[in-house]
Amino acid sequence: MNATATQRVWSVVTHVLLLFGVAISIFPFYWMFVMASRTTEDIFKFPPELLPGTHLLENIGKVFDSVNLLGSTANTIFVAVVTTVLVLFFDSIAAFAFAKFDFPAKNLLFVVLLVTFMIPSQLSTVPSFVIMANFGWVGSFQALIVPGAVNAFGIFLLRQYAQGAVSAELLDAARIDGCNFWRQYWHVAVPLLRPALAFLGIFTFINAWNDYFWPLVVLIDPGRQTLQVALSQLNGLYNTDYSMVMAGTLLAVIPLIIVFFLGARQFLADLAAGAVKQ
Amino acid sequence: MATTTPLTAPAQAPEERRSTGNHAGRSKSELLSLYAAISPFYILFAIFGLFPIGFSLYLSFQNWNGIGAMRFVGLAQYQFMLSDPIFWKSIVNTFQIWFISTIPMLFFALVIAFMLNQQIRGRSAYRIAYFIPNVTSIVAIAIIFGSIFSNNFGLLNAALEGLHLDTVEWLNTPWGIKVAIAAMVIWRWTGYNAIIYLAGLQAIPTELYEAAKVDGANLWQVFFRITVPLLRPIILFTVITSTIGGMQLFTEPQVLVGNGGGPGSEGSTMVLYLYQQAFINNQFGYGAAIGWGLFVIMILFSLINWRLVQGAGNRGSRKGVRA
Amino acid sequence: MAPNRRTFLAAASGLLGTALLGTSGCGARGSYLTPEGTISLWYWNRSISDTLLAKTPKATGVRLVPQKIGGDFKSKFLTSLAGKAYIPDIVGLNEDVATYFPDADQFVDLFDVGAKDVESEFLDWKWQRGVTPDGRMVGFPMDTGPTALFYRADLFEKAGLPSEPDQVAQAMDTWEKYLEAGSTLVKKMPKKTYMMPNVDMVYNQALAQQGKRYMDEKNKFIGDGPQVREPWDLAVDAYRRRITSNTNDWTSDWNAAMSTGRVASFVGAVWMGQVLTDAASGTAGKWRVCRAPGGAGNSGGSFLGIPKSCRDPEAAFKVIRYLQSPENQVVYGLNEMQLYPSAIAAIDDRRAQVKDKFYGGQVINEVFGTSAKAVKPVYLSPYDNVVGPAFSDQITNIWSAGKNPDRAWKDALTEADRQLSHLGLI
Repeated sequence: MNATATQRVWSVVTHVLLLFGVAISIFPFYWMFVMASRTTEDIFKFPPELLPGTHLLENIGKVFDSVNLLGSTANTIFVAVVTTVLVLFFDSIAAFAFAKFDFPAKNLLFVVLLVTFMIPSQLSTVPSFVIMANFGWVGSFQALIVPGAVNAFGIFLLRQYAQGAVSAELLDAARIDGCNFWRQYWHVAVPLLRPALAFLGIFTFINAWNDYFWPLVVLIDPGRQTLQVALSQLNGLYNTDYSMVMAGTLLAVIPLIIVFFLGARQFLADLAAGAVKQ
Repeated sequence: MATTTPLTAPAQAPEERRSTGNHAGRSKSELLSLYAAISPFYILFAIFGLFPIGFSLYLSFQNWNGIGAMRFVGLAQYQFMLSDPIFWKSIVNTFQIWFISTIPMLFFALVIAFMLNQQIRGRSAYRIAYFIPNVTSIVAIAIIFGSIFSNNFGLLNAALEGLHLDTVEWLNTPWGIKVAIAAMVIWRWTGYNAIIYLAGLQAIPTELYEAAKVDGANLWQVFFRITVPLLRPIILFTVITSTIGGMQLFTEPQVLVGNGGGPGSEGSTMVLYLYQQAFINNQFGYGAAIGWGLFVIMILFSLINWRLVQGAGNRGSRKGVRA
Repeated sequence: MAPNRRTFLAAASGLLGTALLGTSGCGARGSYLTPEGTISLWYWNRSISDTLLAKTPKATGVRLVPQKIGGDFKSKFLTSLAGKAYIPDIVGLNEDVATYFPDADQFVDLFDVGAKDVESEFLDWKWQRGVTPDGRMVGFPMDTGPTALFYRADLFEKAGLPSEPDQVAQAMDTWEKYLEAGSTLVKKMPKKTYMMPNVDMVYNQALAQQGKRYMDEKNKFIGDGPQVREPWDLAVDAYRRRITSNTNDWTSDWNAAMSTGRVASFVGAVWMGQVLTDAASGTAGKWRVCRAPGGAGNSGGSFLGIPKSCRDPEAAFKVIRYLQSPENQVVYGLNEMQLYPSAIAAIDDRRAQVKDKFYGGQVINEVFGTSAKAVKPVYLSPYDNVVGPAFSDQITNIWSAGKNPDRAWKDALTEADRQLSHLGLI
């Protein structure tokens, strides 16, 4: 009885703490909605307006009038989905090899991988553009997808996770059953790595979705813009319609939340499935 | 969850050793497969990474505004860099912001993940709520944080005034700027790290916790004796990535205080300074030199970091195994 | 798996080969943004009217393809120039058009395509800013940014200051008088009402009224002269009087300061009016505009240039001339987009004389038109972007960190010296 009471108190405390964190997390987001539903002038009132206004549809309408929202959203979905699929595949096979196998020069290769991770991308904008121009890729989605199809971050993440989650016994068992590397990858590693893959997938998708500077530099055709590049056009030469920008940002975020929601459910369902398999 | 067998327990040092034991029996075709598995990264890097690196190294010995002809200047850019007070300032700024953002961020993330990993109701909803900051576009967030930290009219100062405390010119003072940038970083990345930790935590079998409970361990002991040691590889990952991310901090200060880094360049970070020199001041040669300076600093710092965390990790896991 | 891998390797090695071949940059030549026979144009949102752009092909007979570029416009343009590929045929250039002067050969000399014919239509000082010291024309005038004093008549009145534009202009015709009036206002008004948003404004706007800047036409440093020192001293004076709210430009803080009436005035370019009306529409009717203390100045304004790679410079120039004709500058520039004209006939046009409710029915073009015509020609050097911050950063240090002004001045000169030697100019 006493133990349950303590547990209940503890559970309440946990919820209170978590909810406090949630409030901090959500508040700016809520405020974005407030701004998107008000006029630009309202945003600068003091003390600030804390409740949503009535201009949401009007602001969204302005966004639709100013940029090709649907077309650029479709482009962004295409780029983000293709990039995510490629990243998940290429990163996970590399991570699996690095985490669970030994081969000559492994450590050296891994250090090289980590080092490449430290090069600031701003440094390579001009040479990367030169490469794309020479490939004739400027203006095409390949210029966004191919260089981003595999990355050090994801390999590193999955490797760290696989070290813990993929046990040597299972691999040994699979090897005795005659599974080669690829079958071990597919039948043993992938199911166990799913929570981490779900995370990496969501994260990659979000990054591809929000990527702005490189797409701005390398895409040129207004019909082939990504969403963030299109939204960046909302800023005027001398002034910015903040409430319209907020409405555009809001529209750009909604698909991400849907993706995350789907991903998070997948993430939970998989754990159950994995347990059953045992 | 409860039915997970110990087979999925996070592998520790001994298991890794066992897997390396198989090395001798590895066939040629398997080695080939392994290299094929890791090759996409190196191939793409060779195409899209090596040339830019070589080019920027070459550029760092030139004076080039990006438009006209390049002029070879030898080591002059590096010499100038070493005597450039703002370069040094941007290094100090970067480390300060890194320090005041990363430590609270990773700590909160771990605590949140730990709480979420309890059998708690609404876990999925919490997870989404904590991850939301990471999905929003940074430009919108900058406007919002601008109005939170705004000097005369911000929410924070309004709150301070309400409490009859002195207001702070956040975006005009050296520490205020850094705190505002760090707050943005913490806000955006805490939930993200918490989700990473959570993914790692879920691989830890509940039996371990139950056994600890039977032994009479309290929550504190469970956290430091079980959770932290078993999560070591993931913690190492977040420490390394936050270090790299922190050293490359760019967008947050740019959108909050502008390309110049705000009053006194107090918000200028290494990458922001690189960007400003190359694209705002048209000094691509100098920008490249700064990039290399930054690269060297990052390598050194990451090595120290890696040593510290890895060293502690090895000790920790050995202890964990013995126990 | 295997076929996948093989194709991938094959593709990758093919790419690698191309990359190695292509590093010279030659392969990219002849790459254009739009099909043959068209002219591409890069512009910012709200820098050219979209209605006007839609009419242009018919009016000029040129197949124009406008491309609105958001965000880091200059970074994108520089990347194209540096990569020597996909450069637009016509490009919008900002106030810092002079940064392209050392590479004027990368642009079509607009005098070669007939710019001379229309020179007399435009404000001379504006025209000169697009021309290099050795007489090549890189940038064609778009909008300008004549400056004036924006002030809240109601707050001035409450503080016992003059409030009618003519009276204010007379009573505050010099910066000294304006700063003095600032002290009066701050003393008379409740706590936390300030005369102006920040100290930097005094420095920048007083400097924008001078006939010289940091460098002369031979790129010799003259930033230690009185044309810099006087604005500097005025800024220090403004700081000492504590009449600024320390609200930085281009922040939400600034917009809020205007919206809530904590700041009673500022000296700014005509386009600041647009920012002001967006941020503070609730204060409509209370603002007025008059001649700025210290006289006429200019801040901001843009140009159009034709990069050398342009496929048809004559057609491109035809487009530029059409877009920036006096008629279109009034109808589509000023009246549709609030972009202030650079063509004299446009400034004087009857359609430009509109009463503005935001300014209590004042015809503000009278003020800005007078200012625009009185701006002194000044040489803006390619290096102002680099040398200028040496001074403006120190001004900021004075008010934000309380740095000793004499030390700050010395440090500014040292820093300017360091930057110039880095550029190889001294």
